[in-house]
Amino acid sequence: MKNLLLAVVLFGTHLTAYSQYTFFTPEGSFAIEASLENTDMVRLPIYRNEITSLSVVGDYIIGGTSASEGLSPFVFTASLEERKMTEIFDLSGVVDGQQRIRSGFVKDEKGKLFAGTMPQNMESSGHLISVSLDKKKKIVVEDFGVPVIGEGIYALTSDPTNRVLYGLTYPSGYFFSFDISTRKAEVYKDLAPSEKVRFSLEDHFSVTAEDYLSRALIADDNGLVYGSLPYGILFYFDPKTKSLVETEEELPEVWGRRSLGQIHCWLKTSDGEIYGANRADGQLFKLNTATKKIKNLGKPIMMSGLAGLAEGADGKIYGVAGGYPGYGHLFSYDEEEGFVDYGNPQFNMVEPGIEQGIAWRGYQMETITASEDGKYIVIGEAEALSQLMVFQVK
Amino acid sequence: MRFFHLFIGMCLTSVALSQQIGEKNIQFIDYPDFPEGNSTWGDIGYNPVTDAVYIGVTNHKNKIGFYEYVVSKDQMTLKGFINELAHLRDFQWQGKIHSKITFDENGHVYFATDGGESREEYLMNHPHGYYGGYFMKWDPEVEEMTNLGMTMPYESIKNLDIDTQTGKIYAITYPQVHFIIYDPNTNTMEDLGRLGSAHVPRMTFTDKWGNCYYVDWRQRLVKYEKSTGKLVFARESLPAFEGTPGEVIITGIKSYTKDDAHDVIYLSTYGAKVLAFYPVKTGIGSVEELGALYDTEDIPLWKPHCPNMNLGLNGNLYYFIGGHGNYVKKDTTVMMELNPKTKVKKVVMMFPTSELSEVTGNGVRDSAGNLYFAGRKIRPKNAETPEGLPSIDDKVSIPFMIQFNPEKELND
Repeated sequence: MKNLLLAVVLFGTHLTAYSQYTFFTPEGSFAIEASLENTDMVRLPIYRNEITSLSVVGDYIIGGTSASEGLSPFVFTASLEERKMTEIFDLSGVVDGQQRIRSGFVKDEKGKLFAGTMPQNMESSGHLISVSLDKKKKIVVEDFGVPVIGEGIYALTSDPTNRVLYGLTYPSGYFFSFDISTRKAEVYKDLAPSEKVRFSLEDHFSVTAEDYLSRALIADDNGLVYGSLPYGILFYFDPKTKSLVETEEELPEVWGRRSLGQIHCWLKTSDGEIYGANRADGQLFKLNTATKKIKNLGKPIMMSGLAGLAEGADGKIYGVAGGYPGYGHLFSYDEEEGFVDYGNPQFNMVEPGIEQGIAWRGYQMETITASEDGKYIVIGEAEALSQLMVFQVK
Repeated sequence: MRFFHLFIGMCLTSVALSQQIGEKNIQFIDYPDFPEGNSTWGDIGYNPVTDAVYIGVTNHKNKIGFYEYVVSKDQMTLKGFINELAHLRDFQWQGKIHSKITFDENGHVYFATDGGESREEYLMNHPHGYYGGYFMKWDPEVEEMTNLGMTMPYESIKNLDIDTQTGKIYAITYPQVHFIIYDPNTNTMEDLGRLGSAHVPRMTFTDKWGNCYYVDWRQRLVKYEKSTGKLVFARESLPAFEGTPGEVIITGIKSYTKDDAHDVIYLSTYGAKVLAFYPVKTGIGSVEELGALYDTEDIPLWKPHCPNMNLGLNGNLYYFIGGHGNYVKKDTTVMMELNPKTKVKKVVMMFPTSELSEVTGNGVRDSAGNLYFAGRKIRPKNAETPEGLPSIDDKVSIPFMIQFNPEKELND
């Protein structure tokens, strides 16, 4: 094989005969140019476009971005049918001083999206915002205020049955509930990392709050809300007793890397099953909500991290694993087939000025979601100029 | 050893053959003491302080010979192998130097290393994986190599430039196309992020103010503007021939050379268009089209392969077309002369690929007006083929340096 590869470079032999790998480029896949500098087209500007929150409502992809230091994020929309960006909305027009929308979008009982923000500095606070589309499909962002003063909103989930949002703050790791109707928050500090734990993690392992606070939360069908504590310990919040419970269960561990344990993402499937992932090493697991036990399903790829999961109409779970300092991979999982690693997806991007189409290859994929019918899987990048990548589920 | 066979085709079509330039204007110079070295990849540069040309020759696997050609002595010397000079361990193997070789005002030599694209890309932390490319600095006075460190883990460095006023290094990584600024004086690195799509444009270049240029996936010029510390994106894409495929567009610029006296930088795109770029200190300058690299009706105008370009003291551009299995004439490498003022181009010489199969190198000219390129040839293995030279289908690739002077005879 080595000699064949050398032939490609040295002797100009046909590339296709000796490829090491093929890219995942399924029929009907496409990339949408979401970010571009110096243009009149609807595009996100450089360093303000990492797609860190992503959802689909009807035909519209809805994204929330993260920006570099001192810059404000955007909310944006793109049309699946038209395969193009349709609107960008500068969040500073509604809430000033924010840097990241990294919580992901969650829905209330009417399908309205909510997200939490992270401020540009800790002199400000993170806000809860709602995002919806008006009759003309224009973006409407509403500020629901600050649930915890002096804290950003790191993770967010919802229980649509009781119109309550649940969140985790940054940097302190406080758990809060927020009643959408009354706009009142209750804060629970019981399980926030102690000074001793913080010192141990930050001083001995050189990790930061971003590395040990739960990056995502999920509510089960009984209303319990799950997340992780430092060292990958599973906890849940019981809204009936209004209490936080530290379990004895820990996230699947690669031995010696317990200090990196952290929920990276959750997914509740249409049949109520809950899947999660440990960012430390990118293990996928299934949570038994009755026993509070975790079943380790393994790692889809070599690299650490598993940033997102989505359920396709074919019943498979699709996810994005890995990432910096390597490259992310798209994978799928189902109980019959196990893991399938698709590597870097590479989709065709057709836009004004590049009508012939160019290949867009996904490296740093941060978010993944499914359309409401599960037929489209949408991936959002986190780059200096991030794009959307879409494929259809058969 | 010098070897040279000139081949002049009899079937020229739309381009005229120059009558003035011939085989006495060119010589091929071997690289000694590295029999398994099989190729060079644009890693050539002229150092005015030492009046020498530096080249990296690779076995395209794990060994790179670092050469110095002293012009006054007409002498090519192997200065050592990169892994030994830079104290690399086996697991820090490097496949080649893909960057240009460039210099600061004191004559220090700078280049970057590359994995080589085969076992590099996805083995990563496997025992055979690639740890990443390094910036290197060679001090020719004391003959010492300094490893200036990596950019991103697992990433190759495809090209670099140096701002001679500040000493800052600009670089582009592979495969994630990150634009990097590294200051060796403070050991600080800034990653300005990904600028490309599925393929990495190979070429970076600077202007006289120390601004650095690259392209985005639309083949728009991207300038790192030194005075503001920001990236500036051109509004429009560089010109392209109708029908240029997307995979060609995203690969950007293939070759360039500077005319410092007239503040012009000549470019050729992967889509085989020659351009004159007039940089300005702030903002993006203007671009003038100079036509096709090679006028032909036999293949699409965007197709010719030309990863090299030099400017003669006579004001003409010189470049070789062919390589990677892509030739405008069957099994023939064509050398061109283009007058950028009149836009008239000529075929200067032609070579069978068994004598010259591909040429790289950009903007390499010594003070006497000699132009330098890094060449190689592909030919069947024979009794003279070194034992360690890898062969594919009984063919071997043999590298050599090309010295060319359009106005002076080199072969007495």
